[in-house]
Order: sequence, then C-alpha cells, then structure tokens
Amino acid sequence: MTLGRAGPAFRRSAALLALLAGWETLSRLGWLDPFYMPPPSAVGQVMLDLAAGGELWPHLGATATAALAGLAIGLTIGIALGFAAALLPVLAELLEPVMILLNAIPRVILAPLFVIWLGIGLASKLALATILVAVLIFFSVFNGIKEVDRRLVERVRTLGGGRRVLVREVYVPSVTAWVLGNFKVAVGFAFTGAVVGEFVASSRGLGYLLQFAQSTYNAALTIALIVIIMTFVLVLFALAGRLERRLLRWRRSGAGPRGG
Amino acid sequence: MPSTAGPGRPAAPARPAVPETLLRVRGLSVGFGGPPIIDGIDLDVRAGQFTSLIGPSGSGKTSILRVVTGLLEPLRGTVELGVAPPDVGFLFQDDALLPWRTARQNVALGLRIRDVPPADADARADHWLSRLGLAGYGDRFPAQLSGGQRKRVAIAQVLALRPRLLLMDEPFAALDAIVRTRITQELLDWVEREHLTVLLVTHDLEEAIGASDNVAVLGHGPRAAMRARRAVDIPRPRDVLEARQHPAFGPLLRTLWNDLTEEEPPSPAAAGEAGR
Repeated sequence: MTLGRAGPAFRRSAALLALLAGWETLSRLGWLDPFYMPPPSAVGQVMLDLAAGGELWPHLGATATAALAGLAIGLTIGIALGFAAALLPVLAELLEPVMILLNAIPRVILAPLFVIWLGIGLASKLALATILVAVLIFFSVFNGIKEVDRRLVERVRTLGGGRRVLVREVYVPSVTAWVLGNFKVAVGFAFTGAVVGEFVASSRGLGYLLQFAQSTYNAALTIALIVIIMTFVLVLFALAGRLERRLLRWRRSGAGPRGG
Repeated sequence: MPSTAGPGRPAAPARPAVPETLLRVRGLSVGFGGPPIIDGIDLDVRAGQFTSLIGPSGSGKTSILRVVTGLLEPLRGTVELGVAPPDVGFLFQDDALLPWRTARQNVALGLRIRDVPPADADARADHWLSRLGLAGYGDRFPAQLSGGQRKRVAIAQVLALRPRLLLMDEPFAALDAIVRTRITQELLDWVEREHLTVLLVTHDLEEAIGASDNVAVLGHGPRAAMRARRAVDIPRPRDVLEARQHPAFGPLLRTLWNDLTEEEPPSPAAAGEAGR
C-alpha cells in the first residue's frame, strides 16, 4: 500500500484535502446551502480580500498584542505567585482558595466585569488573557514545586547544597519543565482571553470582526476568521514546540554507544 | 593527579597504630510513628577499614545511613563523625543525577557547591569521568546514558570530592550482574589504593564478604538490634570474583548466614518495608 507507507503527515493532509474537495463538490452540486455553508473557495476568497485589502492586519495586530502581552504577563504573575506560594506556606493558605475558585469557574465570565472596570480598549482583553494564563501557570508551578523529585533534593543536600543551590539546580529547572509542559495550553488560553474579550465589547480585533460577521449573518466571513485564528495559533504552537524541544532537550534519549 | 595516597593527599599520611573511628553510632533507635524498627544500634567504622552492614530487607539498614546523612531524625541515640561533613561521600541505590544537567555538570556540582571555580570544577569533572571510563561523555544528559554509565557518573560525582569516609547503600542493586561486578571491582581498586574508609549497607552476603574487612550483622525487626560483627580474613588487594574462591570465604558465608537467620522472631512481617 503506497498510502500506508507514506508518512502520517501526508495521510493527514490527504484527509484534509479530501474533506475540502468533498465540501466544495457538495456545494457546487447545490446540496449545501451557501448561506449556512459557503464552499471553501468562497471562504478562501474572503480571506484573500481581507488580507489584500489591508483590512485584516490592524485587527490581527490588536488580537495578537492582547494575547501575547497577556501570555507574558500571565506567565510572569503565575510563576512568581506559584514560587512564592510553594516557598511561603502563609501565602499558600491565602492564595490557594482564591486560585481554586478561579480555576473552577469558566474564567471568561469575568470578561464583562473587566469591560466595566477597564473599558472596551486593549486593557480589558489583556486582563482576561492574563488571568486565564496566570491561574493555569500558578498551579503548574505550585504543584511542580510540591511534587519535585525528592531524590534530587536529597542528592543535592548530601552533596552539601543549601537552599540557594536547591532552588537553582533543582526547583527552577523542574518548574521550567512543568511550565513548558503547559505552555501550549497557555498560548491557547491567551488567545481565548483576547478573542472572547473582543467578542464582548470592542472596536477592533479578530473577535470584533467575528462579532460583526455573526451579526450580519456572514457565514463565509465567520469561517474565514475562524480559519485565520486557527492558523495563527497553530503557528504559535509550532514556535512553542520548538522552544520546548530546545529547553527540554535533556529529556530526549539520544543515540550513541551504550553499555556498562 | 596523584594516583596513590601520597604527599598530595592530606588525609592519608601517617596512619596511627590504633585507627581512629570515623563514624561512631551509639544507642541509635529509629521509628516512623510506631515502635522503633531498629533499637539501640551501636556501630563503629574505623579509619581505613571497609565495613559492611548486612541485614534483611526492611531491617532498617537504610534508616541508619539516612540518620548519618541528616535526612532522618532518630528517636534516640547519637552519631559522631570523625571527619568534617564535607569529607563524607554518599552513594545510594536511588541516587538520581539531575536530568537537566550534563554528566560533566552533574560531576562538577559537588565541587561548585564547595566553591571550586567553574573552569576548574569542569576540568576535574572531565578527569573523573575519564577515570571511570566515560571520557567523551561529558556533554551527555543522563537520559542519553545507560544505567551503568549513570551509576559511574554518580560515583565520579562522589569521588571527585575526595571523601575520607564513603557511605554506600546498595549502590549497585539496580545494575545487571556483569556491570555490577565490573563497577564493584573498579570502586574496590580505588578504595584499596586510597585507603578510603567505607561503610557499605547491603543484603548481599557475597558482595559484603568480597569487599569488606569486617561485616556487621543487623537482626530482624521489629526492634532490630546488632547481631554480630565478623572480620573478613581475605588478603588485599582483592579481585571480587577470586575472593569467592578463597578458603575463608565459604565458612564465613555460612557463619554470617547463621547470624542472620538464627532465632527468627515470631512475626518479622510486622516490621514491613519501613526501612525505605
């Protein structure tokens, strides 16, 4: 079987292409109502127009700014609070209930509140993306430190290492691994925060465009925007994956001479 | 690198006629909430001697070493070290290397903790890696090494600190027989050449006899106590495999076996695996 021997990436692309071709064919045959389900060619045309007309870029820029800044601030806050809570029991007792509550609810319900507090500009989107990311990262750091490998701690202690050495050699690398393990989820959360924030109230951004497309019953524009957001997030996932592989290269068992 | 205990080594010269005691344990009791699993343990490790502590699994052997390392608080009893804490080296069964540090960084870690400048520490780490047959492996991460290679890195990490007293807890238990015999021999060669003082905790009688000058026997729990202490009358330097052919080996093995198994307490199961 030629198809079976080809790589999984090839098989996946083939499946996607087949789906698009089927969709297009069904539309051309008139079996799909273009009002609800415009053909891929029409969606592609909308995307081209958006890009060529220059209309897309400020919106994409606004969303990316809110998401990436929210990601950075959320990571910083999450890591700082996670470390502090793990090292200071008093702070853990104060923070944990709040964080557990924030973790239990769908945090996007805070969006209207942020709009009231911070207005319809960038700040409310930033705040939503930040809190989505910060809570996730707080728990990965907090639990990461609590579940750090005891044998490593004991090893460093028997070699004579104190608290400073333990933090540098054991806790920080261990937490880095935990955070990187959740990094892709954090990227997704940051975009969720930015887009939902725009969806609720804004004057620009991909979420704003989506809201506009929905209110005008423009299915082609809606699908085009969904595809654009997906593509953008996938590109970021790929970058995150590279960063992860680079920083966690110690996890890969490399080839080489083996034996006692 | 001075390869023998020569003038370059401050610890070894002029060994006194009556060897000093590098580790003195008195009346040590250890428990985990319930009754003590070991009770009233006395143990001496004399300078230049290779002492083995044998006992069944779960008898609390490991707990004794954990008290010595300061990782465990005893119920009662004292531990006196005849050397400064930085001169004690530890090699345990589940020693983990830092997975995010290379072999070189792992070996250099103890030196860096002792404020050796980074370049110097790296050079000494490379030296010890090549001594243990791992020349050229300095940039590998632990995940890229075999179990035997990782154990050699752990040994290099400890020996690079030039300890005067080496405490080991079944350090090679996880290795296969061939690798284990080879590494034991290498370590024994080093110990004999440097007149290193060693306390080895093990449940393997043959390993204990093959390597040691004397063997202390810990009884069954609960409330395990010291049973006997036997000298090993096999000349050095030793070959781990040939030592087993020595006429003294068989009878001593029998004696130790009897020491270990006589007067079985009624319910040894009560002690459980609390030793870990």
